[in-house]
Amino acid sequence: MKKQQFFTAIYMAMGVSLMLGSCTKLDEHVYDQVLETSFKPTEADLPSILGAAYVPLRTVMVGWQGDFDLQEEPADIIVTPVRPNGWYDGGTYQRMHKHEWRADEWQPINSWNQNFRGINTVNRIIAQIEGGSIPVTNGKDEVIAELKAARAFYYSMLVDNHGNVPIVTSFTDTVRPKQSTRLEVYTFIEKELTEALPKLSTKSDNSNYGRMNKWAAHATLARLYLNAEVYTGTAQWQKCIDQCNEIITKGPFVLEPAFKNNFTTTNNTSKELIFAVPFDEIFATQNSIHMKTLATAHRNVLDLAAQPWGGNCAVPQFIDTYDPDDTRMKDTWIQGPQRNVRTGELILTYTKAVPSIDNTQFFDGFRIGKYEIKAGARGGLSVDYPVFRLAGIMLMKAEALLRTGKPDEAAVLVTDVRKRAFLATPAKATVTGAQLQLGSSYKYGWQNVDGSIADLQGGADIPFGRMLDELGWEFAAEGQRRQQLIRFGVYSRKIWFNHRPKLDGKPRTLFPIPQVEIDKNPNLQQNSDYR
Amino acid sequence: MIKLIAGVGIASWLCLSPATVSAFASDRPLHKKGKVAITVTGTVKDAKGTPLPSVSVQVKDSPRGTYTDARGAFSIEVTDGESILVFSATGLATQELKVGTQTTLSITMQNRTGNLDEVVVVGYGKQRKGDVTSSIGSVKAEDFTKGFARDAGQLIQGKVAGVAVVTASGDPNSTTQISLRGNSTIFASTQPLVLIDGIPGALNTVAPEDIEAIDVLKDGSAAAIYGTRGTNGVVLITTRKKGSRPATVNYEGQVNIQTIARKMEFLDADGYRQGIKDGIFPASFDKGTSTDWLDVISRNPVSHTHNLSLQGGNAQTNYIASVNVRQWQGFFKRSENEQLLGRVDVNHSMLDNKLKFNLNIIGRNRTYFAAPNYAYIYRQAIIRNPTDSVYNAAGFYREDPNAYNYDNPLRPIMEVDGETVQNETRYSANVIYSPIKGLNAKLLLSTVKQTGLSGYAENNKHRASETLRRTGYASRGTDYMRDNLMEITADYTRSFNQHRVTLLGGYSWQSVTNEGFGANNSNFPTDLYSYNVLQSGDALLLQNGAVGMSSYKNNYRLIGFFARANYVFDDKYMVMLSLRNEGSTKFGENYKRGSFPGASIGWRINREDFMANATFINDLKLRAGVGVTGTTPTASYLSLISMVYSNNRFLYNGQWIQPIEPARNPNPDLRWEKKTEYNVGLDFAIWKNRISGSLDWYQRNTVDMLYDFPVPVPPNLNGFTTANAGEMKNTGFEVLLNAEVYRTRDFEVNANLTWSYNKNTLVSISSDPKFQLASQFLEAGYTGEPIQTATHRTLVGGPVGMFYGYRSIDVDENGGWIIEGEDGKPKPIKDAKVNDKKYLGNGIPKHTAGLNLNFRYKKLDLAIGMRGAFDYQILNFQRMYYENPSVKEYNMLKSAMDLVYGKKRLNSPLAYVSHYIEDGDHWKIDNVTLGYNVINGGAKYLKNLRVYVSTLNLVSITGYKGLDPEVTRLGLDPGNDSRDKYPTMRTFTLGLNMTF
Repeated sequence: MKKQQFFTAIYMAMGVSLMLGSCTKLDEHVYDQVLETSFKPTEADLPSILGAAYVPLRTVMVGWQGDFDLQEEPADIIVTPVRPNGWYDGGTYQRMHKHEWRADEWQPINSWNQNFRGINTVNRIIAQIEGGSIPVTNGKDEVIAELKAARAFYYSMLVDNHGNVPIVTSFTDTVRPKQSTRLEVYTFIEKELTEALPKLSTKSDNSNYGRMNKWAAHATLARLYLNAEVYTGTAQWQKCIDQCNEIITKGPFVLEPAFKNNFTTTNNTSKELIFAVPFDEIFATQNSIHMKTLATAHRNVLDLAAQPWGGNCAVPQFIDTYDPDDTRMKDTWIQGPQRNVRTGELILTYTKAVPSIDNTQFFDGFRIGKYEIKAGARGGLSVDYPVFRLAGIMLMKAEALLRTGKPDEAAVLVTDVRKRAFLATPAKATVTGAQLQLGSSYKYGWQNVDGSIADLQGGADIPFGRMLDELGWEFAAEGQRRQQLIRFGVYSRKIWFNHRPKLDGKPRTLFPIPQVEIDKNPNLQQNSDYR
Repeated sequence: MIKLIAGVGIASWLCLSPATVSAFASDRPLHKKGKVAITVTGTVKDAKGTPLPSVSVQVKDSPRGTYTDARGAFSIEVTDGESILVFSATGLATQELKVGTQTTLSITMQNRTGNLDEVVVVGYGKQRKGDVTSSIGSVKAEDFTKGFARDAGQLIQGKVAGVAVVTASGDPNSTTQISLRGNSTIFASTQPLVLIDGIPGALNTVAPEDIEAIDVLKDGSAAAIYGTRGTNGVVLITTRKKGSRPATVNYEGQVNIQTIARKMEFLDADGYRQGIKDGIFPASFDKGTSTDWLDVISRNPVSHTHNLSLQGGNAQTNYIASVNVRQWQGFFKRSENEQLLGRVDVNHSMLDNKLKFNLNIIGRNRTYFAAPNYAYIYRQAIIRNPTDSVYNAAGFYREDPNAYNYDNPLRPIMEVDGETVQNETRYSANVIYSPIKGLNAKLLLSTVKQTGLSGYAENNKHRASETLRRTGYASRGTDYMRDNLMEITADYTRSFNQHRVTLLGGYSWQSVTNEGFGANNSNFPTDLYSYNVLQSGDALLLQNGAVGMSSYKNNYRLIGFFARANYVFDDKYMVMLSLRNEGSTKFGENYKRGSFPGASIGWRINREDFMANATFINDLKLRAGVGVTGTTPTASYLSLISMVYSNNRFLYNGQWIQPIEPARNPNPDLRWEKKTEYNVGLDFAIWKNRISGSLDWYQRNTVDMLYDFPVPVPPNLNGFTTANAGEMKNTGFEVLLNAEVYRTRDFEVNANLTWSYNKNTLVSISSDPKFQLASQFLEAGYTGEPIQTATHRTLVGGPVGMFYGYRSIDVDENGGWIIEGEDGKPKPIKDAKVNDKKYLGNGIPKHTAGLNLNFRYKKLDLAIGMRGAFDYQILNFQRMYYENPSVKEYNMLKSAMDLVYGKKRLNSPLAYVSHYIEDGDHWKIDNVTLGYNVINGGAKYLKNLRVYVSTLNLVSITGYKGLDPEVTRLGLDPGNDSRDKYPTMRTFTLGLNMTF
């Protein structure tokens, strides 16, 4: 009897278990995510898919400690000094200014990560299109050409910053990539862009604004050739001129009558912009150049809906190079007394003087005002960030002409760009070929706390120094200065503000490969200046 | 010999034995309550027949008691035959005996067998303590920490060797942190699996007052039956169960006050003005008033707790119901936590006990105010200029227009509104069918539902309203969690001859779903709406990005089959084998299921013939076990290749559209971490069980360790992939010692000592060929702004938790740090290179110890709980940030004025250097409770009355200069004492316990 009961209980237990047999399945119930297996894209989804390739551009260019800082902080126009409310930040701004960055410095790491994020995303999308998981029936070649051009653009940033980076073109190949030389990367970009060009759109309107069209590709190539000597040891001035000519003669671009039009909240309508990274105060909020530069109290000048952080400002030595009649001076820098936009109440006064990188007051130094900060602006500006504009192409061509013995032709282009900056004093707009061959007016030397200059080097000895000055006035705070200083041989040679050249045989014109990446990928070798 | 004396009004039901009514006592007073009094006499002898003097004879639940005389004889009056006599003496097993119809008793007291017959809760069942072959820490209610307890964790603080219970924060909303035998995982949760009567819950699911016992399964062989959830140990909480006695009502009430245990000594207004005189601060910094900012935002909190329970019934049907109310205040103004917790547990048995039912319902309702960001506010209070005032002349909160991250600390407390309500309901039912003796089939069904509803509002004077130019902000959020569990188990126990066999088999199915919704809005027409009329905010219409909403939903399921067999031969040899096969939906396609075996053996050496002469040894048992357990990652879906529509938008043809991107680097091979644990232990009891304890040695090998492993970019999209590529080893030793130091009729001293040692080694971070790293270390911890560097580096082959930074050795003539360079030579910190960093200490204590002392003198008892941790370091963030006179914008510690290395005041930017790493060794006198049993049974209505005073966190003996050396010890960055840490409190409690 007992035995029978025992088995009854066992059978009952087994019966219940069998009833629950369906309760042994372990398939996942997914509610709030899109699984790759359930995502069936159509061509209508193409913009969403392509978009991912461009999104990293915003953080590449002006993200926190992004390319803007990477190009400006080591150069002679902008400095981030220690302020009463901080800005020492573990010494990173000091190291950037003094060219003492380390292999774990944030700015070069960010450049690496974000550019490769763009490259990997392009590779992923190309793999999905070619593998058929994203159906593209019409214009597949054009889409792929555009993506490859975008990838080449990211590489054009890397070849400039890190030089010897891996060339990765496959998404499915997950082995650790091999390092390429700077020359190989240069050659790759040139080839990719040249191949893509015939298939790229010649349109430059809303439909491909912020994307790689034919003109953006030409401009990327022009910039590559302009710096070819730095990248490869072989100058390519004529190739640069050829690319510039394509844009100048065939492109739909004209110089805006007002310099400022390139930097307004609605600068997407500028006829001068060839390639810009779009920003929006709601949808794409990373353009916080104003937050980093304005003093916190500036909030009460413009009734900002954000509290600025109050950091970087202009190097006084650079401010001194401006012609007083050059309207780009006031269009680029916020200076002097600042009054509330509604009441006129005096809130604060920015002074030119910046005593030292170690110790400044809240309102020392002129602030970046190039990008329109509208009243009531938020933490992100709606101003699109210009990467290439016609004035830039004209000055690239001018520089290439100047360096190939055609100073007078160069002077015509430079004069054309200067005209809108000297509307009140038109005579001053004209520059001659002879002038362009003079040195720089920048008083290179050590700035003492009282503003006087010690160890004065000046800029007279800089070949085509005047051209460098022109580039500075036109492109200050556009994230180009480091490249310019390297090209003009100033970067590793001159003293400015609280920066002294190392003169130790290590020019540091390339940033270090991020140590974290070397740690993860043994195929990578550190750039020679940092070994 | 039978002798019975009864009072006058004899109740007829007592006259079960006519012979007993043969004599009436006339020398005894009449029992006024009309009840019968019976006098029982007897003798007490030991096993050899020797009479035992001074044995305590007590009537249970009554104040009546006596002692045996020199001949072992006693005489005592009881109310009726239902009375129970309790015999106890030092070194002897306590015996209880129902009087029944006997009036002369002959008692033979056995030597105490320690607590071998005590019942220990093991996974899916119970076991005689004597048969246990694994390392299980068991704490019964009478040994719990007395007085105020935040949750179940605090009840066993310092009482179980190898179980570190840290009260890392004084926040009334935080719970204790339990970690077991060191850090054996770094990525998955380190919280142990907490089961309340077998159902997953948390340390605060039931009121501490309602807990009967807490058992901690420490080693892998015991926890293996819980499979993927067992690695961090299993805490089994047994709630108070049925009482088969007449209805009783118990009330326990407590009120406590708290004071801050230790304050960091910042400059007060006078000190600050002295600083101005000394040229540290500019004269303009004197704002002309004196304010103690910490005082402005804090208070002396008063909290109370009440617990009322009712139990009763008979052997067939019985019940317990309890209500627990808490009203706790936090140290910071307005921070509050109120909780109402109710529980009903009903048991019924029928068909001659063949069918048993249990129904249990727990309802918990918690309401708290945590709207302000107190950590940030606390920081603002300590760094604020002490000569500044709270309000300006116009009566508004005073703020500095140039300041960044420098806000009036009172304002964010007062200008917000908010409430979070959490409700939890747990229903569980189990049916046990026992058709024959020894066989039980059990079905357990439970469902747990948790809902949360939160509201938060900033009024239009709030700092953020001003900064962001909006008129108010409000949000609401709600979440809902369902945890359904079904378990079917069958167990069979049989003893024959010298054999005892227990078999267990079962199936477990658990499904957990989380979902939630939240919305926020800005620009309200009035502050009066608070967060109650979200749609009234104009931001919704303006669509300027100041509104938002979100929702989510996810699910995971855990399905397991398990079996266990126990075999005991002659109480001498014991074997346990268990196996769990478990699957989790959280894992990759190829790794859904896994098996977790456990095995242990025991040998009771003292029962061997060769030990027969060692009579001073009462118990000596050698145990050895091995078990495999797992750890699941915290989030669901990590193994899936999923895409997200990103809010990181893309401008397409004039429209900002959402691009679709991979959510993460996919890893279809994601699986659980596995830990294999070896445990060898010795249980012993000597000298009539006066000293007993355990020694345990363990080694825990964690393989397939989960971590966000750094992967190269390119080819990966993200720099980190969640993967199983690490290995870690923990080796340790634990000692538990219980001593009955002294015991007479009036005076008793007991002691309980725990000590544990742990050594941790990171064995590998590239055990999976896909995640080969060039570097053989992991960095973790972060100093925060503005120092901005990692604090820890764990090197393969070394222990987790190493501090890694510059070693400061001196200051130069200007007060700048001099550090030790890579070559060992001094160099100024401004020339420091990455390679100059050194290992500066470790944040995990090597030794932890606990000592609990219990004294009783007559009705007075005193319990002292102490614990300590030794041989570890702490990075004192408060000193690192505030002991630097070169940072003038913020207030600083008084010690910032001191000369560093006796040479010079510091004049160097904020930096992470070894100067701020201190030894954390400490000894804490934590819980001291003094109680008095005013009434111990007997009175007509009030059966027991006990009053007590109690403290928590009374004294810390330490050289550490920070607030509290008990800082978080989890993860890869243990020992970081955050500058914003909620200060720990010293608690004084007055409590009352009454049974009716």
